[in-house]
Amino acid sequence: MSAPLLEVRGLSGGYDPIQIFSQIDLTLSAGESIGFFGPNGHGKSTLMKTISGVLAPWTGEIVLEGQRLNRAGERGSRRWRNFNYDVVTRRRMDPKKVARAGLIHVPEGSLLFPEMTVAETMDVAPVAAAGRGKSADRLAQVHDLFPRLRERLDSKIRYLSGGERQMVAIACGLLGDPKLMILDEPTLGLSPKLRIELCQAIASIKAAGVPLILIDQDVNFLTELIDRLYLFDHGRISGVLEKADIPSHEKLMAMLFGEPAA
Amino acid sequence: MSFESFLFVLTGGVVLGALYALMAAGLAVVWTTLGIFNFSHGAFVALGAYIGWQVGNVDGFALGHVLGLSATVLGMFALGILFQQMFIRPFERKENIVAATVITTLAGATVLQNGMLLIWGPRSKQISGIGEGSLNIGPLAFSWNEVALIVLVAFILGAVGWFLSRTRTGRSMRAVSQNRQAAELMGLNVPLLYALAFGLSAAMAGVAGYFVGSVRFINPTMGADPLMKALIVVIFGGIARFTSPIYAALIVGLVESFTTFYLGLYWAPAVLFAMMMIVLTIKPAGLFGTHQRTL
Ligand SMILES: Nc1ncnc2c1ncn2[C@@H]1O[C@H](COP(=O)(O)OP(=O)(O)OP(=O)(O)O)[C@@H](O)[C@H]1O
Ligand SMILES: [Mg+2]
Repeated sequence: MSAPLLEVRGLSGGYDPIQIFSQIDLTLSAGESIGFFGPNGHGKSTLMKTISGVLAPWTGEIVLEGQRLNRAGERGSRRWRNFNYDVVTRRRMDPKKVARAGLIHVPEGSLLFPEMTVAETMDVAPVAAAGRGKSADRLAQVHDLFPRLRERLDSKIRYLSGGERQMVAIACGLLGDPKLMILDEPTLGLSPKLRIELCQAIASIKAAGVPLILIDQDVNFLTELIDRLYLFDHGRISGVLEKADIPSHEKLMAMLFGEPAA
Repeated sequence: MSFESFLFVLTGGVVLGALYALMAAGLAVVWTTLGIFNFSHGAFVALGAYIGWQVGNVDGFALGHVLGLSATVLGMFALGILFQQMFIRPFERKENIVAATVITTLAGATVLQNGMLLIWGPRSKQISGIGEGSLNIGPLAFSWNEVALIVLVAFILGAVGWFLSRTRTGRSMRAVSQNRQAAELMGLNVPLLYALAFGLSAAMAGVAGYFVGSVRFINPTMGADPLMKALIVVIFGGIARFTSPIYAALIVGLVESFTTFYLGLYWAPAVLFAMMMIVLTIKPAGLFGTHQRTL
């Protein structure tokens, strides 16, 4: 049996000193995609930032294709954390290493690089694919997916609309040649039309063979793309639904939060 | 006020402006990427001058201007990175990095200054000018040394600007300065890019030092005055764009040159500070500034 694509064991973390989530276990076999669903502010994004190394994990381990991404051991005592001379005590997890290993995280509402143009940004993005790169293929794929970006190549990111910016963010993720891509609320705050466009793009990314960890507030959209849904609240996984068992968005909302007021 | 003296002061102002532009741009590279102000930039100027003097000058290894200037650039690039690793890297991921590095870069400047005093002694030195004679453009007369300075500064600023906007490494440097987290998630090597930015800045300071050393005397604190002027340039001009210090530097250089000539040497700082205060009152982000801190 081959090693799972991603294995997370006993992961906990947060914004020091406040713990946001604890004891998270998940396993993704090769080719699987999963979704996360849960109320606002309960730590989904924090969990994803920890998996991609932006935040240091407190306990647990993260393994991508058999390669351990975080350094072993618990986080240090408070005294040692205050003494984290970066050169002596290496970071417990390095987002650069995670991205270069092929686990690419497109964070929620990222502003990217406001003063750089789309073309410049997309020139920098393939760095994550170093050593794995089939960047030319990926670039062609990006142009197919987001034709409207081609007209905006010379615009600065800060002049883009929220939807266009999200497209650039996803495009940059793809240029990093991901083995697994985390998309954190990619359709947040978009108009219905743009939302549909972006959902289609995400579906074709998945169809092109990129497994996803997808966070979204629309269960129906999630269900189309994923094999398993994790229900997440209060910093814990409170339930796991196989694809066949996922009810419609309305039913799930009713199930989780009680009947909507009539 | 005779026309000749006016032209003389004008060329002096342009030369000073070129020097300040080089220093301010060096400061801006570090300020925009690492988000800190490097108080040892003045010491870098002196160190660059000493290295150039040691390698190039007849009293040193006597290898000439080309090798002297090359040694300055390469040596300052390496020393800048070493300095950054020692005095700035430890605080990089701390919240109080700005306050901490005010102290550490000041401390580093003291260490460097006393180191230079130990190595080269207290006697002032001077780098012989590049070339004899002068270039006359119409009624303006520039010495060849000044021509070399202006051409070189224009070339360096052009090259750095090209590097930042056209090469992948330069673009990565700008990316890191604009959004560190997004840059990390794209797999950019942030510590390496920070080190590069610092090395680049130090090398630019070194070149400035080489030329200050050819028009004034070299001593460990020779960078203090140009650093203050470059600081005025940075605050006065804003550093929203890599090019904005250049115009501000010319203005500062010309103002200094004219006040020195017509009002006297000691009036120059007063006039510059007054000008800076007026500009900041009207435009808090600087003359050409916006509220960003990016390359
Ligand atoms: N930088 C931060 N520092 C401290 N606390 C934070 C920070 N960012 C978020 N939090 C807190 O962490 C908790 C979890 O936030 P997180 O963004 O992970 O939630 P989420 O599940 O992704 O919510 P949403 O659905 O709104 O995106 C929230 O209570 C938030 O207030
Ligand atoms: Mg979130």
